[in-house]
Amino acid sequence: MGEVLWENIIVSILAFAILYFLLNKYAFGKLFAIMEQRRELVVSQLDEASKTREQAHVYVEEQKQALNQARQEAHEIIERSKQTSNKQAEQILELAKEEADRIKVDAVREIESEKTKAVAELRGEIGSVSVKIAEKLIEREVKNDQAQEELVDQYLKEVGGRS
Amino acid sequence: MHDSPIIDLGGFRLDLSAVIMLLVTCIIVFVLARLAVRNLSVENPSKMQNFMEWVVEFVQGIVASAMDLKKGKPYISLGLTLIIFIFVANLLGLPFAIITDLPADFKVFGHTIEATRGLQDGHMAHVLWWKSPTADISITAGLAIVVFFLMNYLGLKLNRKHYLKHYIEPFPIFLPLNIIENLAKPIALAIRLFANIFAGEVLITVILKMGYFGIPFLAVWQGFSIFIGALQAFIFTILTMVYIAQTTVHEEEAH
Repeated sequence: MGEVLWENIIVSILAFAILYFLLNKYAFGKLFAIMEQRRELVVSQLDEASKTREQAHVYVEEQKQALNQARQEAHEIIERSKQTSNKQAEQILELAKEEADRIKVDAVREIESEKTKAVAELRGEIGSVSVKIAEKLIEREVKNDQAQEELVDQYLKEVGGRS
Repeated sequence: MHDSPIIDLGGFRLDLSAVIMLLVTCIIVFVLARLAVRNLSVENPSKMQNFMEWVVEFVQGIVASAMDLKKGKPYISLGLTLIIFIFVANLLGLPFAIITDLPADFKVFGHTIEATRGLQDGHMAHVLWWKSPTADISITAGLAIVVFFLMNYLGLKLNRKHYLKHYIEPFPIFLPLNIIENLAKPIALAIRLFANIFAGEVLITVILKMGYFGIPFLAVWQGFSIFIGALQAFIFTILTMVYIAQTTVHEEEAH
């Protein structure tokens, strides 16, 4: 058993060579191909994942921009409406002021006219009243004195002019 | 000791036990590999496929530890075949051995088994049929010669200048030493593998002679022999890769 048989060496070399050939042809080739495919699958999935992440990043960026834009627009709209409302308020105020002025002027004019009317009325009334008062006074002291009547008239004129 | 069932085919002494055991080893390895690649799937690998991929990655690790994996790619299937073949071969002798007592001039296929030739009547030849193929030094020598041939052929083919220059380094006077070193590699490979496995089987035989008393020892030794079988397969493969790397890869920074 201890001796080396060259025949056995040849047999074992042949056996190993045939096994290597068969395994290479019918087993390992397939296995290596599948392993390579699996490796590629993992690589492609990783690639896809990173691509998706990038896309998501871009989307988020876009969304952010859109949001910012919308916010800006809203701000502008509010600003614009504030301005218009301010203007309107001013206009309304001005209108109201004009109206009030107009009303005031009217009222003043009316008061003036009423006053002159009342003054004229008063003047007439006071004239006749004072004539009656004077008649009564004069009836008692003087009768049909021309000089007296002239004097009274003159005083009355003075009174009417002053008022 | 036991004799081998050798028949003489016109000067070619065919060892039937070696042939049978090599055949059994090859069939087991091939069937195993075929089972592993039966239902290959990219997305849903079976357990067997996972196991086989683990073995492939293990061998890739061995190759990568010896050389650049890009250069070592063609050797992965060689390493795979070596490691599986040697591992299976190492284990075959563990569960049992088949030994027959043959009478004089016992014939197989019309040829006399050499060990029984010229035996006197009443004497028997103990012929060992089933053993680890790697427990035969001729067979491990065959494997080592494959490795020896490969490493020198690949060195000459891929790395001729540095391969030849290596023989006269560091001085031309080292030429015989380098040749001896080169020759020692396959001899060491063959003897290491053979001695480990053969010693394991001898020890099993010895323990068996202890009878029932030896059962726990046998269990322990069988378990250890499985470990030894795996270890020797690993060592043979990694040394093959290292030798191939030594001859084919010229490392500038190593000198």
